[in-house]
Parts: sequence; structure tokens; C-alpha cells
Amino acid sequence: MPHLPELEVQLGRLRLANPIMAASGTFGYAREMAGMVDLRRLGAIVPKTITPLPRAGNPPPRTVETAAGMLNSIGLDNDGIEAFISNQLPYLASLGVPIVVSIAGKNYGEFVSMASRLDGLPGVTALELNISCPNVSGGVDFGADAQMCHRVVGGVRQACSLPVLAKLTPNVTDIAQIAAAAEQGGADAITVVNTCLGMAVDWRRRRPILGNVLGGLSGPAIKPIALRAVYQVARAVKVPVVGVGGIATIDDVMEFLVTGATAVQIGTANFYDPTVTMRLLDQLPDALAELGAASVAEVVGTLSV
Amino acid sequence: MPSNADKPQTTHVCYADSAWHGVAKVELNVQLARDTFRLRIVCPQIARRILPGQFVMVRLPGINDPLLGRPLALYDVIVDGGNPAAIDVVYLVVGKMTRLLARLKPGEMLELWGPLGNGFPPVQGGHLVMVAGGIGQTPFLALAKEHLGLQQYGDPPRVAPQAKKVTLCYGVRTADLLAGLDDFRRAGVEVFVSTDDGSLGHGGVVTDLIAPVVDSSPWPCCLVCCGPEPMLAAAAQIARQRHLPCLVSLESPMACGIGICFSCAVKIRQPSGGWDYRRSCVEGPVFRAEDVVFPTTG
Ligand SMILES: Cc1cc2nc3c(=O)[nH]c(=O)nc-3n(C[C@H](O)[C@H](O)[C@H](O)COP(=O)(O)OP(=O)(O)OC[C@H]3O[C@@H](n4cnc5c(N)ncnc54)[C@H](O)[C@@H]3O)c2cc1C
Ligand SMILES: Cc1cc2nc3c(=O)[nH]c(=O)nc-3n(C[C@H](O)[C@H](O)[C@H](O)COP(=O)(O)O)c2cc1C
Ligand code: FES
Repeated sequence: MPHLPELEVQLGRLRLANPIMAASGTFGYAREMAGMVDLRRLGAIVPKTITPLPRAGNPPPRTVETAAGMLNSIGLDNDGIEAFISNQLPYLASLGVPIVVSIAGKNYGEFVSMASRLDGLPGVTALELNISCPNVSGGVDFGADAQMCHRVVGGVRQACSLPVLAKLTPNVTDIAQIAAAAEQGGADAITVVNTCLGMAVDWRRRRPILGNVLGGLSGPAIKPIALRAVYQVARAVKVPVVGVGGIATIDDVMEFLVTGATAVQIGTANFYDPTVTMRLLDQLPDALAELGAASVAEVVGTLSV
Repeated sequence: MPSNADKPQTTHVCYADSAWHGVAKVELNVQLARDTFRLRIVCPQIARRILPGQFVMVRLPGINDPLLGRPLALYDVIVDGGNPAAIDVVYLVVGKMTRLLARLKPGEMLELWGPLGNGFPPVQGGHLVMVAGGIGQTPFLALAKEHLGLQQYGDPPRVAPQAKKVTLCYGVRTADLLAGLDDFRRAGVEVFVSTDDGSLGHGGVVTDLIAPVVDSSPWPCCLVCCGPEPMLAAAAQIARQRHLPCLVSLESPMACGIGICFSCAVKIRQPSGGWDYRRSCVEGPVFRAEDVVFPTTG
């Protein structure tokens, strides 16, 4: 009987027992999923992005289904960092899995002060900087401009001792350049991608379908874009890459690993297949064994072009 | 206005803690009315636990378009040899998924998860007046049977107070859309019908039917309503004027049904004043009418 492959992966200073993470904004604050999945088995959980102050979010309709995907304009509906710390963090801390807290600020100062507020709190394992949400004006600039990205990642690194993941938007001309800036700023890993800016229209009423007009496209429809981003970013940086976008099956997971992702995040698939993460964890060892790999690390970035 | 950390909440959050997710067999898919079908899914795991007013998310397994599950309310639980064995839902064909559901044959498989949402609380005695618009009658059959002592739901089976009387006020655009009238009548429910085009019953809106029922009832009335928002708002106003308790089941579009996507936001009044967007799938779909900010009433 051969040994089971080693699932442990390292994202800079962050160690995960396995590479299957829950993506931000698609897993609530994890408590919602306690009846559906064994949260303790996950490699890491990224709760829904928090902001310094409460945000009501955008008016409904906030999501609409499109071909093999969906558009969302949730608008970072959240109760703010203090409510997160008092209401959500104690539960998350009790799970014993790495919690990567996703933060979004309107400006440099907000990112930095959120990072120092979270530093050292029980349950906060790492930060993911959401510099890529298409649904809030002011948010996307950090992920679209290499200099601003470098500065905000650097500022957060200085403000706290937590491992830092920079989550990038695909809605840029050259994602590799932004990723390199995040690396230089001190990011432990680069997460790609957030949603792709999109739109849906009701031609009979001559109106956009989303209350916010534009929204972020996610789901199987964007998998090729996300794979492309992982490919480009993995070639441009030395730090690990976390792949996200349309992942729903074990084949998807393996494609991302081989293309250069050290870990993956599951997003929209949680919505339409709520136990997907458990199935992927069950299937991963066999898929690695099929490639004759003794560990996840052995297959990461082994694509021959 | 968003809520703060420690404010008291109007609603109670019901996570999918007892939900089952899997693939189950279709046993029956029969037409009840124009574009309206009754679908039976063999799923004891859900049938045993589900309460009136709760819902399931349904999709076609292995298919990416349509992608997301669709919420459908419990119509009834089918008991076989004393054990809850299957759930029935009734759906109106309106779009991508429901068109495909209408083609399902017995023996084919569906993916589903549930039970989801809070469901109706047991309604205290007196006269239960159910107000339905369009396909909004679906959550009421099980509620009526429960309050008429015909069936129990939930695990352990819930004991609901018995109603003196149950009335359904049911409005549709035109008569051939009326679905399930026999089921309600057979359960002992008094039924009043309205149609927009006057093809059957009262010609006009369903809320016209409420006042005559509640004003002539010898018992204290409780309203439960499901349908388009203007109908809910009108029903809520009638209840408010008469100081009658009123519950509404909302049909806000949902992407996950389990509280993780924040699609299903509805404006709910907060105890401290103002409103907050709350998730209808885990804090609803049933709300007290007075807690809901209807777009029409502001
Ligand atoms: C808790 C709950 C319980 C429900 N119970 C039942 C039930 O028992 N029976 C039943 O028949 N239905 C029920 N519904 C409604 C049902 O979920 C929808 O009719 C169903 O999702 C339609 O799916 P579809 O793919 O056929 O239609 P879709 O193709 O998704 O579209 C349906 C219609 O809605 C419009 N639409 C779609 N998305 C939006 C949007 N974001 N904004 C505005 N318009 C939009 C479309 O143009 C179309 O006219 C329930 C809904 C909820 C929330
Ligand atoms: C409804 C919804 C809400 C999201 N909210 C967030 C968020 O708050 N923060 C964030 O970083 N990403 C958010 N995302 C993006 C996802 O984390 C993910 O990057 C993206 O959806 C692509 O992956 P997927 O196709 O697997 O969903 C959201 C996505 C969806 C669909
Ligand atoms: S439908 Fe996803 S949170 Fe309610």
C-alpha cells in the first residue's frame, strides 16, 4: 500500500494542512456552512471581506445568473471590523483551521489601520488584501496600479506581523506587473483572481439587470481567465500563487496546481454545490497519486509548455 | 442604515444546520394547471425534517447552465408506511430552470439541499387566513394541514395549536393558473378565489378578499401571506389597521439559499430604528409583516 500523498502546502509564512481554501464572499463567515461541511478539514477559510465601518451593500437585485456563471454586485455588505471581531472571530478562532481575514479599505490608511487592529488577535492567522473588488468605487484602484499596490502591501506588512496575501483583479492590462509589485511590497502569496467585471441587460425593458448596473462575473465561465492569470503570475513572481476562479471539480483543482497554483480557493461552487470542498478533499489524494506525486508541492507549476 | 455590532436583532437566524445535500430521484412530475407542475422527490432525509414555510434548493445534477439552485417551497410531505418518504413542490414555469424541470420524468435525478429557512412558526389558535398571489399558495398546504390536525411536520414532529378555521384567499391573473384547489378543499380549507380578468371568483385583486373574511370571523384572525410585494404590502396594511398578526413569506431571488452569498437581501426594520439588509434565506423567508420595509410603503 503506497503512502498517501503529503497535502501540506506553504504560502510564504502561512502553512496549510491542505491546499483547499474557501474563497472570500462565498462562504459567509463559515458558521453558515457548519451543517454542510466539516469546517475543520479545510486548508483555510477566508471569511467575507470586512471594511472599517459597516456597509449596507448595494440595492437588490444583487446577483443574476449568466451562462455557466453569475454576476454579483453585493457591494461588500458587512457589519464592519469591530462587529467582525466581536461577533464572528470567536467562532472562527474555535475551528482550529487557518483563518485568512479579508480586508478592504478605501485608502492606504484604512488598510494599514485594519491590519494593525487585527494583528495578534486570537483566530487571525493571516490577511488577504482585497484590492480587487469591482463593486466599490475606490477599491479597485489598488489592484489596477502597480505603484499603489506596492505601497499598500508594503504598508500592511510593516503594520503587522501576519502573513499577507494580495488578491488581484483580472480587470487589468498586465496582471503579472501588478503581481510583481505586490511581491516587492512583501506579499507572502498572490491570490488570483477576483471576479471579472461584466454586465447583464434586459433588452425589452432597456435596463441593466443588476441594481448596480455592473457586476463581477464568477463561476465556471471564468475558469480559463483565472487559469491564464495563474500561468502569467506564476512566471512573474517567486512567491506562491493561490488560484481562484470557476473551480468546481478535482480536474479543475489539478489544472490550477499544475499551472502554478500552490493552493486553490473555492468560490461560487459553494453556492450550487455546498459540499464541494469535502468532495475535493476526498478526491485529491487519488488525483495526485495518478501523477505519481508524493506531495502537492511536487505537482505545482509542472506544466510543460 | 447598516446595523452595529451588538444591536438587538428583529429576526432569528436559521442556518442550514440540519440540511441534507445530495441527488435524489423524481417520482412524479404532473401538471396541475397551466404552466404549473407538482414534483415529487424521494428524499426521506429532507422529508423527515422539513417544516411548512421552509424551502429546498433544486438544480439539475452535473449541468452548468443553469448553474445555481432555485428555491422552491415545501408543498407537502409524503408519508409512506408511517415514515416521511418524499417531498412535493409545486412550480410555475417562468424561465431557464423551471422549463427544464417541466421535462423531468419519473426515475430521473435532481440535486437538492434543504430544509432551508425559518419556516412558519406554529400559529396560535383562532382563524388562520392565508393570502396567496400567483404561485404563492405553495407554502400554505402543509401549514393548513398542520393547523387542522391532519399531519405533523419536523423532527421531532412539531405540535401546532389547532385552528378553529383555515381560509385561503387565492388570487391569480386568470382562472387556468389556479393550482391545487382540490388539495386545499380536501384538507378542509375554505377557499376564496380572485382573478385579475374576472374569469373566476372575484374579479380584482386578492387583497379585496381579506376584509370580508376577517371582519366577519368570530375568532381572532392571523394572516399569513405569500406573493408579489405589492400584494404583501397591501395585506400587511389591512392587518395593521385591524391590529391582526401578519406573517409574510418573501420570494427574494436567491443564489445559494444557505446564507453565504448575500444575494437575497431584504430591508428589515431594526429595533433601534432604521433598517438593515438581512438575508432572506437564513433570517426568512418568513418575516413579521411589520418588520419588512416594502418598496411601495417606504
Ligand atoms: C423561498 C422561496 C420559495 C419559492 N417557492 C416557489 C414555489 O414553491 N413555486 C414556484 O414556482 N416558485 C417559487 N419560488 C420562485 C422560484 O424560485 C423562481 O420562480 C425560480 O427560481 C425561477 O427559476 P427559472 O430558472 O425558471 O427562471 P429564471 O430564468 O431564473 O427567471 C425567472 C423570471 O425572473 C426574472 N428574473 C430572473 N432573475 C431576476 C433578477 N435578478 N431580477 C429581476 N428579475 C429576474 C426573469 O426575467 C424571469 O422572468 C420561490 C422563491 C423563493 C425565494
Ligand atoms: C457573491 C460573491 C461575493 C464575493 N465577495 C467577495 C469578497 O467579499 N471579497 C473578495 O475578495 N472576493 C469576493 N468574491 C470573489 C470570490 O472570492 C472569487 O475570487 C471569485 O468569485 C472567483 O472565483 P469563483 O469563480 O470560484 O467564484 C465574491 C464572489 C461572489 C460570487
Ligand atoms: S441566497 Fe445566498 S445568502 Fe441568501
